[in-house]
Amino acid sequence: MSTMTAVRAEGLTKFYGARRGLEDLDLEIERGEVFGYLGPNGAGKTTTIRLLLGLLRPTRGRVAVLGGSPDDPAVRARIGYLPGELRLEGRERADRYLAHLGEMRGGVSRERVRELADRLEADLSVRMGRLSRGNKQKIGLIQAFMHDPDLIILDEPTNGLDPLVQQEVHAMVRRVRTAGGTVLMSSHVLAEVEQVADRVGIVRAGRLVAVEDVGALRERAVRRVELHFDAPVPEDAFRDLPGVRDLKVEGTGLRCTIDGRPDALIKAAARFTVVHMVSADPDLEEIFLTYYGEEEARHHAAADA
Amino acid sequence: MPPLTRKTLRDHRRPLLGWGAGMFALLVAYLSFYPSIEDDPVFYDQVLVAKYPGPLRSLVGMEDTLIGAGFLQMMIYHFIGCLLFVAFAASLGRRVIADAEEDGTLELTAVLPITRRRLLLERFAGVALTVLAFALATLALVLAGNAALDMGADPGRIVAAHTGLYLIGLFFGAFALAVGAATGSKAAAAYATALYGGGGFLLTTLGAHVAALSWLRPLSPFHYFLEPRPLYEGWPVGSYLVLLAATAVALLVAVPAFDRRDIGV
Repeated sequence: MSTMTAVRAEGLTKFYGARRGLEDLDLEIERGEVFGYLGPNGAGKTTTIRLLLGLLRPTRGRVAVLGGSPDDPAVRARIGYLPGELRLEGRERADRYLAHLGEMRGGVSRERVRELADRLEADLSVRMGRLSRGNKQKIGLIQAFMHDPDLIILDEPTNGLDPLVQQEVHAMVRRVRTAGGTVLMSSHVLAEVEQVADRVGIVRAGRLVAVEDVGALRERAVRRVELHFDAPVPEDAFRDLPGVRDLKVEGTGLRCTIDGRPDALIKAAARFTVVHMVSADPDLEEIFLTYYGEEEARHHAAADA
Repeated sequence: MPPLTRKTLRDHRRPLLGWGAGMFALLVAYLSFYPSIEDDPVFYDQVLVAKYPGPLRSLVGMEDTLIGAGFLQMMIYHFIGCLLFVAFAASLGRRVIADAEEDGTLELTAVLPITRRRLLLERFAGVALTVLAFALATLALVLAGNAALDMGADPGRIVAAHTGLYLIGLFFGAFALAVGAATGSKAAAAYATALYGGGGFLLTTLGAHVAALSWLRPLSPFHYFLEPRPLYEGWPVGSYLVLLAATAVALLVAVPAFDRRDIGV
């Protein structure tokens, strides 16, 4: 195996009894990249992550992390992990808990913990049971980053954080990449993954349906657009524009869906006077449907052949 | 001491104080009752003791006299002592894996750079040391009571009996930990321990009167503590080694079962 591979999964499959958690995952994450793992809740993101950490035993398939087995303590020493459902020991003070985890990881300096705590504005002097959800999440982030691991696995890291702290977390992720580290980060929010990830894997119903560069994904993203003009516009002016679907013109209003670049629509609209424009963020579900639809189509094509 | 064991001991401070305070209050209450028995031995020994039917005497651990060692045997080294040591140790054994797994805190421990075997054994060491602290504190109290109230029981045999309490507690601590480690379920660990502990106790006490059950009796851990009567006969080395071996077996079964399993599903 290439020493440049941080994560490699081959045919990785996990069933919980008869229920499918993940099926036939083939995935490679290179060292030094930020990999976004995108999918709706229950799609298999957490199952994948917990398999990579050796918390779950695969039903089939193989997994290698940092060139070794996730069961190897030497491999685990180089991983930082933030669980999706973080549970902390409520009676323990945050600073003592972090000191314990640091000691188990071969020693983490107080300064390092303090630095991270300052950056996230986390209060370490209280019992963790009394922390709010967002403040617990900060403790979880500190323990994931504090030993400067080669691979950081974050399961929905910005869940429950306010936007400023989210930005700080994104900055921390970028800093890890700059230092040569690898980050695997799951999310169900495309915008978040777009901001920090180099590549994105899309998982749906226990299967990885696509792996894309973030740029390509953005180009293919489906966007709903609404334009309002100062006077009624002819539908003909917008018909058959490349990338424009579901066109609906009613009086002075126009609604449509755009695949990828909005360029053609913008140029067509420029001939009229636009008074108002609404562009909804690319809808994750629609991106899934696009990929899923293609998968289905391929299956049908294969079946027909 | 490994950091995980140290952490486990720190986590056990609260339960240790709680159970210790309860046990302390109980022992003091029992011991304060002793002078009134001593004042009227005829009533207690001949009227009360003699009235009890045989099986009931076996169940509560009543000896022929309630003076001296007979008092300690019934009040501490039979029913109540066994119950408290087993319940305390089992609650800790359940706590370190099954409880931690169900409340989700095991997740961050299980990804630390240690094998699952070490995780299990280092936490068990924390259980063993906590129960040891409990045993030493209660032993000191019993020895002090024995001396202060002039009970006349042999201190060496009190130590032998107390060691037995510790070993029976340690076994059930390992048993609860093993069931928790194999299943990840608090309920399974609790029910299995209650079933084996309660069933074993009845088998050793009441079962002594049922000939048909005699072949089953070596399966009860209490067989190796109550039967040799260490408070009277001194150190039952062989029996205690059986208890230690059973503890080791529980851990030997727990390690591979824990290692193979999904955590937190």
